Amino acid sequence: MGNTLLKVEGLKVNYFSENGKIEAIKEVSFNVKKGETIGIIGESGSGKTSIAMAITGLLENNAEVKGKIIYEGVNLLDLKEEEINNYRWNKIAIVFQNRLDVLNPVLTIKEQITEVIIRHNNLCKDEVYKKVRNLFESIGLSKDWLNRYPHELSGGMRQKVLIAMALACEPDLLIVDEPTSSLDADSRSEIINLLKGIQNSNRKFSMIVVSHDLTLIKELTFKVLVLYSGHILEEGITREVIKNPLHPYTRGLLNSSPELNPYQDLWGIPISLKEEKGKGCPFYQRCNQARIECSEQVPKLKNLSLERKVACNRGGILTILEAKGICKKFTYKNRVIKACDNCNIDIKSGEIVALVGQSGSGKTTLANIISGFSKADNGEVVFDGNKIENFKEIRKLNGLQIIFQDPFSSINPNFTIEEAIREPLDILKIETKDLRKEKVKKILTDVQLPVEQSFVKKKCMELSGGQRQRVAIARGLIMEPKILIADEICSMLDPSTKANMLRLLKELQNKKGFSMLYITHDLNIARKISDRVFVMYNGNLVESGNAYEIFNKPKCNYTKKLIQKGFMKAL
Amino acid sequence: MNKPIIGKALEYIITFFIILTLNFMVPRLMPGDPFTFLSNDEVGVSFTFTEEEIKKYKDYYGLNKPITTQYVDYLKNTLSGYLGYSIFYNDEVLNIITERITWTISLVFISTLISAFSGSLLGSISAYYRHRKIDKVLYFFFVSISQIPPFLIGLLILYYFGAYLKLFPLSGGITPFMEYNSYWHKIIDLAYHFILPALTLSFVNIGNFYLVSRNSVIEILSKDYITTAKAKALKKRRIVFVHALRNAIFPIVTRIFLSFGTVIGGAVLIENVFNYPGLGLLMKEAVFYRDYPLIQGIFTIMALFVLTMNLLSDLINKKLDPRLS
Repeated sequence: MGNTLLKVEGLKVNYFSENGKIEAIKEVSFNVKKGETIGIIGESGSGKTSIAMAITGLLENNAEVKGKIIYEGVNLLDLKEEEINNYRWNKIAIVFQNRLDVLNPVLTIKEQITEVIIRHNNLCKDEVYKKVRNLFESIGLSKDWLNRYPHELSGGMRQKVLIAMALACEPDLLIVDEPTSSLDADSRSEIINLLKGIQNSNRKFSMIVVSHDLTLIKELTFKVLVLYSGHILEEGITREVIKNPLHPYTRGLLNSSPELNPYQDLWGIPISLKEEKGKGCPFYQRCNQARIECSEQVPKLKNLSLERKVACNRGGILTILEAKGICKKFTYKNRVIKACDNCNIDIKSGEIVALVGQSGSGKTTLANIISGFSKADNGEVVFDGNKIENFKEIRKLNGLQIIFQDPFSSINPNFTIEEAIREPLDILKIETKDLRKEKVKKILTDVQLPVEQSFVKKKCMELSGGQRQRVAIARGLIMEPKILIADEICSMLDPSTKANMLRLLKELQNKKGFSMLYITHDLNIARKISDRVFVMYNGNLVESGNAYEIFNKPKCNYTKKLIQKGFMKAL
Repeated sequence: MNKPIIGKALEYIITFFIILTLNFMVPRLMPGDPFTFLSNDEVGVSFTFTEEEIKKYKDYYGLNKPITTQYVDYLKNTLSGYLGYSIFYNDEVLNIITERITWTISLVFISTLISAFSGSLLGSISAYYRHRKIDKVLYFFFVSISQIPPFLIGLLILYYFGAYLKLFPLSGGITPFMEYNSYWHKIIDLAYHFILPALTLSFVNIGNFYLVSRNSVIEILSKDYITTAKAKALKKRRIVFVHALRNAIFPIVTRIFLSFGTVIGGAVLIENVFNYPGLGLLMKEAVFYRDYPLIQGIFTIMALFVLTMNLLSDLINKKLDPRLS
């Protein structure tokens, strides 16, 4: 026991409705230490609020709660309603989500705060009033507001009142449910600072913060649980989790946050990548790296490191490609040019990695080696557990595909569109002819090209550059690759076509879940689309890391210079 | 803030004028004629008016003037507080009504209070124990009795308590020709006559209040602030009576005032069942004798009463609900 204030063990919450049983929480366990703040994040409907309500015993009669909620050695689920009342507000208080009706509309703020103090303390009237005034002082609200009604307060003030009310009986555990939703940026940071300040100034109470606001979680919490449809999928120290998510769902959540991704287009987690739901992993349907076994086996929350747990049958986000110690030299008129010098690069499943650098820095050489087009002098490339040799991975479904810079030369102009896209399938004799045609149609829709016979039968030479590049993408995607290598695919396109192309690629990536290595010298575009960046200079990979950090706090001198130049142009 | 008040006032004024107009038209559209009726007394002591006399009376009451003039006169008189002269009672309509109105008003007020209080109490209990046995029994009971017509309930109560158990008098509002030793004595006698009609009228309306308060409390109990109150570990009594009922009271108060309309309607019927000397009984007599001025007068007063109550319901809800002020 000792330091642990709250211990939740195997918590299950089921709701019964006319349509049957809904399992809202399935086997959730976690601890809250004294003075510690933990966060619970997840999409709406993931069960965050159900956990909060289960701890306070406030679920309606149609809910069934199983497991243990042990508060200082007492299982709250064993207690009777009257006994739980000794814990409510006095020891465990909750700041409810700030909805209009969360405060009683016909009672004044004063009445609503004093009633809890009177209920839980033996104080005379003056003392109660003094306490309320002190509370208001500590949250920074004038006491004139005490005699007002809830509807006369702004959203931010109401949130402060809710916090003051929750602190009225000096609880040991404060549960805070979405304290910043529906607040403007100003009140939001005010509330975050308020919560931080109060927790530091008062004797340390523990806090559970339930929110989908990642900035709030980042600012307030030490540990974080990532909840999805009643399961904890990832657990760890907040800072670490945000820096380096290990579950595809966590990464999806982080990628959807505008604060954490100020430059990128925002794409939420796709609703479903697969048709069937499966009986295994709850995230199976939306996971980009799920295998058949994931549809059958429910993953257990396992330690990946000391402080990090992930529930994933595949052990978290996979590194799908790893190139180690790649060296390549070219000899030209007795001069040796090191195109790649001991390059190490890794690509995780479902991420977009940008490889940036000046022309001639060796980006294309590296791409060719990774895809198997050219052979490295030294080093090896491992793709999905296998060493890449020759064209093995390009010549198969679910392998690796590359799209080249120049669509005019990468596609045979005398092929019809259908032939060009179908060619890889034809060569490899995958599926029957009719099915292949069907696939071509589907992929054409994906890349937003017409599917009419009149169009499909056109010769490729009749197409514009943008259209041809789409055909090239379609040809790559028809092999359902796990990695798509895009080598300067937009550099020959006009700005509008380029923008369309990038959005299309990002959409397809999000929908199909493949990884992408995007090679470019255009820093603006790299910043717009990539999750991670590798910077290449004279055959060396000089810096790599999270896109936001590379573009904001570059460490390497070359990167600094590159960024300075790259973005000066934009201004 | 001022605009809605003006709008509201205009609404009431227009409603009142429409009622007055209908009031003016309805008796004139009814078949029958007070003068032919006066001549055919039910006792059989028949006497007829001569053509001359009829003409004289019609002149006197202004009935041979063009209808528009009659209408304007009627409006003028009503607005200046003169409701006309009863043909049958030979007295000013206003005098007759004031004499009788206390009976009806007290019947209406007291029975409304009883039914509102007990109805909302039972409704709250029902809501709190929703889906349990007590709720199901109460709900079934009140839904069934609210379907029984008032006069039938009146007759049943009259028969059982009055005729069968002989606990209460069968008719009237006061024992005739009784001499009272004290004021107290008189009150007891009045109450003794009052109980059965009041009980009947309460019974007729209680279902209404029960249903309104049950719905209202059920709705309120599912609100977020009730969860907040529970999380604060407040006592059950405080949750139900302070947090829930303070919010649920608005539709109940509205219903109380709005129900005066229907309660008056019920009172008219029940007064006739119990022969209770209020406006209802008076109205029956007025209709029976085609006493137009009296009918019109009663209607006007009743309409005025109902409109006042509606106005009060608006005003009081505004006072009670901080969100509206």
